[in-house]
Amino acid sequence: MNWPLLKADNIHKQFGSNLVLRGVDLEVRAGEVQCVIGPSGSGKSTLLRCLNLLERPDEGYVYLDGEPVGYSWFGDDLREMKPVALARQRERMGMVFQSFNLFGHLTVLENVTLAPRLINGTKDAVANEEARELLRAVGLTDKAEHKPAQLSGGQQQRVAIARALAMRPEVMLFDEPTSALDPELVGEVLDVMRKLADDGMTMVIVTHEMTFAQEVADKVVFMDGGVIVESGTPNEVFKESIHPRTTSFLARVL
Amino acid sequence: MMSLTTTTHDRPDPKLADTHTRVHHLKHPSWWIGGAVVILLIAAFLNLLFTNENMKWDVVGDYLFDPEIIHGLGVTIQLTVLAMVIGLTLGVILAIMRLSRNPLFAAVSWIWIWFFRGVPPLVQMIFWFNLATLIPQVKLGVPFTELNLAVWDMNTLMTSFSAAILGLALTESAYAAEMIRAGIMAVPQGQVEAASALGIPSAKVMMKIVLPQALRIVIPPIGNDLISMLKFTSLVSVLATPDLLYSAQMIYSRTYQTIPLLLVATLWYLVLTTIFTLAQQMVERKIHNQPLLNVDRLKFLPIGPRKVVS
Repeated sequence: MNWPLLKADNIHKQFGSNLVLRGVDLEVRAGEVQCVIGPSGSGKSTLLRCLNLLERPDEGYVYLDGEPVGYSWFGDDLREMKPVALARQRERMGMVFQSFNLFGHLTVLENVTLAPRLINGTKDAVANEEARELLRAVGLTDKAEHKPAQLSGGQQQRVAIARALAMRPEVMLFDEPTSALDPELVGEVLDVMRKLADDGMTMVIVTHEMTFAQEVADKVVFMDGGVIVESGTPNEVFKESIHPRTTSFLARVL
Repeated sequence: MMSLTTTTHDRPDPKLADTHTRVHHLKHPSWWIGGAVVILLIAAFLNLLFTNENMKWDVVGDYLFDPEIIHGLGVTIQLTVLAMVIGLTLGVILAIMRLSRNPLFAAVSWIWIWFFRGVPPLVQMIFWFNLATLIPQVKLGVPFTELNLAVWDMNTLMTSFSAAILGLALTESAYAAEMIRAGIMAVPQGQVEAASALGIPSAKVMMKIVLPQALRIVIPPIGNDLISMLKFTSLVSVLATPDLLYSAQMIYSRTYQTIPLLLVATLWYLVLTTIFTLAQQMVERKIHNQPLLNVDRLKFLPIGPRKVVS
């Protein structure tokens, strides 16, 4: 059995008359780090949001550890899941957003503990202990009692990573995690992501950080116009690509 | 030769002011004239207030703590708080319904808001009070059969107090719904997505993420509504509910001391409004995690500058 941990099969997605994804396949194996690159509007973020069904694909299905996301088998038919069952699948996929999306009325510590307390009924003391461990891992021990608005963008994004990790996800989805950051704050977030990759976390990262992708990714996926143009090792995509769309994109961003 | 820089050799050094230099500030005569006019007007008003014998401040003093007045005050507070609690609870439900993807919920909420914002609370109160004419009995039974588990007489259910509460609470529910809806929409959608991505079920997202922040946003307008509600309760005097105003009216209909008793009511309304205003400010400050009184900032009025809710 060498079934991928996360598999997207022939994903199509349309917003109004705008075809954003036109048949995308993605396979992510456990422990693998995949970076999705491509020009703005190529459908990278939409693909990522389809993986945990924040956007429901118009066509095609996503499989987490072999099970369809958002559906359950009913004989040979698929039956749409109840929201609560979908929520149980989503908690296995942590997500980090471009705009951090921390809960503004809660402290950093409460942001991290909220999901475990609400979903797993984790006792406050245990949840707090674990959250402090996570905050130490992302280098924010001293910010536990702060409100998100008191933190820099880089700090907020590291809290967001800790918050996603608190549910002990099997895979982490990053949607342009450094695009909203001031240049000098990008490094601290990438450092945390690099450590996470070294720890063996399975990660799908939509990013514009080409250097980071080259260093950290096991596989780089280049998207343009709603399809995957090519994918391969960083070397294959960044150095050896002969595909005109890839080379012209890389010429612009590198 | 033209030089691009001016030479300063042939000019004396410019003067510099230091700490010993005397500064003559601009005079503001209009400020003083305007001030004098206002002070005169205030003096004339105070003169009217305290020298006009018809004010009868001694009578005001006699009745200020009269048991009937104090009881009326209690009724007014009860009406205000009950109507506000019911109105806000309904308002939250209506706001969520209005934002629901289910068009039936949204439509029902829209019609409710349209109706209860459109009909004056006084008209409603009189209508509710006379409901027995329309529906004499309330029956709890099996629909479309004659089987009744319980029957209540509408006249015993719909007292003047409950009619007043209904009129006030339903009006408030319509206004509160619109404010809370605005508050809900002001909570960034990204937080809802983040919570969904964490696997938090949507009902808990609403209770733990959206509503706490939406209600923080709408506290200032709700505080405003609370004060409006306090004043609207005086409408219940038409239903002979013994609130603050009606108690005062009862007394002056016996004693003919109309102005002094209206003054008693006025003073109590102002006391309550002041308390509510201070309470609202305390809540706002607590939410913004600020000290209760920031002396540096509060120079004149106890109202600080607007703070953006983060």
